[in-house]
Amino acid sequence: MNDNLISEISFMLFFIIVTLVVYQAYAQLQKLCQKPWLNPMLLSILTLIPMLVFFNIPFDQYYQATAPLNGLLEPAVVALGFPLYQHIQTIKKQWRQIVMLLFMGAIITIAISFCVTIYATNQYELAVSLSLKSVTTPIGIALTEQLQGNNSITAFAIILAGLFGALLGPPWLAFINVTSPKAQGLAIGAASHALGTATISSISYEHAAYSSLALIISAVITSIFSPMIINTLVHFL
Amino acid sequence: MFSNIIYSLLSVSICLLIGKVIELFLPIFPASLYGMLIFTALLHYRFLNAKRVKACIEWAITNMAVCFVPAGVGIINHYELIKNHGIMLVTIIFLTTFLLLTFVGLTYQRQLNRYESTAKKELNK
Repeated sequence: MNDNLISEISFMLFFIIVTLVVYQAYAQLQKLCQKPWLNPMLLSILTLIPMLVFFNIPFDQYYQATAPLNGLLEPAVVALGFPLYQHIQTIKKQWRQIVMLLFMGAIITIAISFCVTIYATNQYELAVSLSLKSVTTPIGIALTEQLQGNNSITAFAIILAGLFGALLGPPWLAFINVTSPKAQGLAIGAASHALGTATISSISYEHAAYSSLALIISAVITSIFSPMIINTLVHFL
Repeated sequence: MFSNIIYSLLSVSICLLIGKVIELFLPIFPASLYGMLIFTALLHYRFLNAKRVKACIEWAITNMAVCFVPAGVGIINHYELIKNHGIMLVTIIFLTTFLLLTFVGLTYQRQLNRYESTAKKELNK
């Protein structure tokens, strides 16, 4: 019993430290190279998977051992209230317009992603996961659990959506004549959540402000309306 | 410095705790989202000192991505799924992300342009 506990704790420490070290190494690399596609989260996942496979460690064991990291997601979301607080004054004036726009954007993309995925794969789990990809990970995961989607597919879809928007968003938006930092920030925050926000925050303060605003409002809208939309669509499909 | 860290940790935990209680009675949102809104409100109405939490919260936000790694690694449990549907899934994610980017970006840019041109007209009067 005692031995068991000790081995469990040492497993925990070991896997958490490995995860932190791998992540930190890539974070430093990104700091050195300043390339957004060197995303530490994505690279850590791509490094840890072959490691687990190579050493024959079952995923469940790894996941249980790193549960404390997963538990930190909740306080992390609470912390996002800080950038929101910082930008409240800036954005008070256009409040209604912005909420309306993000509301329409979120609803349309949730519905389209859900329907197309159901049509293409005929799997409810996948469709739920893909329709929740534009919100920040902790909220996406919480909603996936509520709607019985697939956690790890959601996590991966969220990272991909974040990377697409962070890397291709600014050049694409400039190409279609969306040049204002406000509009660029809002669009990238809505489509690519924290990952996009973190990436474009280096461009300008305005980008950062509008992007974190969009990220937060979209998260709220998605949490309220995605269960309704998905339940309604399931009824019809 | 040390007391600021304790202060930040305590404020976030208390907000999350209140969020958990609200979630018990009103299970529409995840507790963390309630917590976030409470945190914003407390900062806005100066129940919490923004200067004291700033450094700690900014550090947490820049490093929060590491908490997502274990969930992401979970993709290995779905090798079959990726093998069968991987390309399709990536395509759907790619296209819908661009749709959302384009829709929000274009619409808001248009609103801004309209706002600016009316502002100019009024100036010319």
